[in-house]
Amino acid sequence: MSTQFVQAVWGGILFGSVYGLMALGLTLVWGAVRLLNLAHGAIFVVGSYVAFFVVSKLNLPILVALPIGVLAAAAFAYLMHLIFIRPVIGKPGFDNSTLIATVGISIAVSAAAILIFNPEYKVIPPIISGNFTLSDVQITKQGLLVIGTSLALFALVYLFLTYTRRGMAIRAVSQQQEAASLMAIPVVRTYGMVIAISGALAGLAGVLLSPFFFLNPNSGFNPMIQALIVTIFGGLGSVRGALVAGFVLGIFESFVEVYYGVAWAQPGVFLLIILMLIVRPNGLFGIGEVRRL
Amino acid sequence: MSAQAAGAVGVSRPQLDQAAAPWRRPSIWAIGGGLAAGIVLPLLLVRIDIGTYLITLLILFFVQAVVAQSWNLIMGYGGIYSFAQVALFAVGGWTSGVLVHSLGWNPFLAILISPLVAVVAALGTGLPTLAFHELARVFAVTGPRFISGGGYGLVTVQTFQFGDAIGDQRTIYLYYLAGLIFAIATFVIWRVIHSPLGVAMTALRDSETYAVSRGINQFRVRLVLFAISAFFTGLAGGYSTHYNGGISTTIFDFPRIIDLLAMIVIGGWGTFGGPILGAGIVIGLNQYLVALGDYQTLILGLALAGIAVFAPQGLWPLIRRLYENYLAPEPLAPAVEVSPAAPRDTTEEL
Repeated sequence: MSTQFVQAVWGGILFGSVYGLMALGLTLVWGAVRLLNLAHGAIFVVGSYVAFFVVSKLNLPILVALPIGVLAAAAFAYLMHLIFIRPVIGKPGFDNSTLIATVGISIAVSAAAILIFNPEYKVIPPIISGNFTLSDVQITKQGLLVIGTSLALFALVYLFLTYTRRGMAIRAVSQQQEAASLMAIPVVRTYGMVIAISGALAGLAGVLLSPFFFLNPNSGFNPMIQALIVTIFGGLGSVRGALVAGFVLGIFESFVEVYYGVAWAQPGVFLLIILMLIVRPNGLFGIGEVRRL
Repeated sequence: MSAQAAGAVGVSRPQLDQAAAPWRRPSIWAIGGGLAAGIVLPLLLVRIDIGTYLITLLILFFVQAVVAQSWNLIMGYGGIYSFAQVALFAVGGWTSGVLVHSLGWNPFLAILISPLVAVVAALGTGLPTLAFHELARVFAVTGPRFISGGGYGLVTVQTFQFGDAIGDQRTIYLYYLAGLIFAIATFVIWRVIHSPLGVAMTALRDSETYAVSRGINQFRVRLVLFAISAFFTGLAGGYSTHYNGGISTTIFDFPRIIDLLAMIVIGGWGTFGGPILGAGIVIGLNQYLVALGDYQTLILGLALAGIAVFAPQGLWPLIRRLYENYLAPEPLAPAVEVSPAAPRDTTEEL
């Protein structure tokens, strides 16, 4: 196997699981709450900064900082739900006002991060350090951890949605909100739960990915845009779509990058998406309005 | 029925009953007064100390208001989320910049081409989406140097020259040109909103299924909407290139999009006057808030979120209500504009 090929495959799988990890939270919230959460990147940033604070200021190991960061991200997402989402649930124009509200929140979070910390790049230590080489390609153990975590989380979310009581409640709410509320499912509380879960996923992604991307107040933006593209590609609201689309786009991007140069990676991905959306406007696994999750 | 009659029925367009819609005819005095004020204003402003600064602010307002109105046409009236507006602005700017910079065209001629290219770009991608915005950004940054000017953009583009006018005189001419673009854009968008096309797009936004089953061609309506919106955005982009004497890649920076979004949301999206009002408020406020640095962004972000959730209709309906209660000579007919964020709560009517 040539070095280039291994490089492309490794990069593709890594990108793919990163995109999938971010896209999972987005697609969950869209599927259940019908909320296009453009503050997902901001929640990512909140999780990473809290972890950074715990590691650098409190001098605790990263394994302690990880759960704290994840919990903080979930708490932030839930707070956002309480203040900005819950007041408009069930009102006409829900999707419009929450979309703008989440944009506003993400702006405010990045400004707050600059004010509290500073715009400089921060480093979060990896959870496992070290690497090994496979036909001249450096493979970091943190990368393997990200891939493993991403796949495990997809499996976990799938099992949770399919077999647990609360998971079934989420699916019921996503399919027919009124019928679900007639079956005594607390709809608003379910929404809050989904948003908190999605926040936790974003926070986890933040802590795990910051060793690769470094951390700055806007570092959530690019992963979110990528995740948004992945979710649109895979079909908004489809968990399976997020997984498949994440890997398809990740591997595609990585191959273009290795064989045609970094400059072509982004344009190539966007061209692929435009072509795909012309063929399937609802995305790869998009099923329109009928059934979600 | 003869074949000729059947053909005539086929091509007949839905006619609006003008008598049933008196509010669609704004008074000639209001329009005339507005135009006269706009023409006289710079002549008065140059006589005071900070007049030139105020005129440049007004020019900025005209340009931003055109873009905000065009975006509102798609997002507020059409209910389609497109973040490509800034990219279309840049496409217009670059087109004009390249024509002048590389081919030596006259700027006045070149800005007539930029809206056309922006329309082609908008329709060529079919859907002006986030993907388009990113594509344009990537092209601008990495594109061949002779076209885009490389990583810094076009930095030396010939500006508008009005004979040999310089200083204040030139600023006034620039003001008139921007004002003309603003007036044309506002008039056309007003006409579009209050036309069968405008009714069709609002109908599509409010209930797609119902609108389509009433025979509205969704694809055609949206395409026309995109084209109109891209046209004026491109024109504004072309103007701003020759006004600033260049166009840089910072145009894609996030704050620019945020400012535009704030204009639409604060003013009231899906309303005709909202973006214009919002452009005035945001540009005015930014002059004071800029001293606050990053607190400005924080405040703007929280204000956006708060207004979107707690006052989704923005400020324009408030002003309209004040006008109706205190100033209107006779009760106005109900507004055709209903913000997409808060259509009437129909449950109470039933």
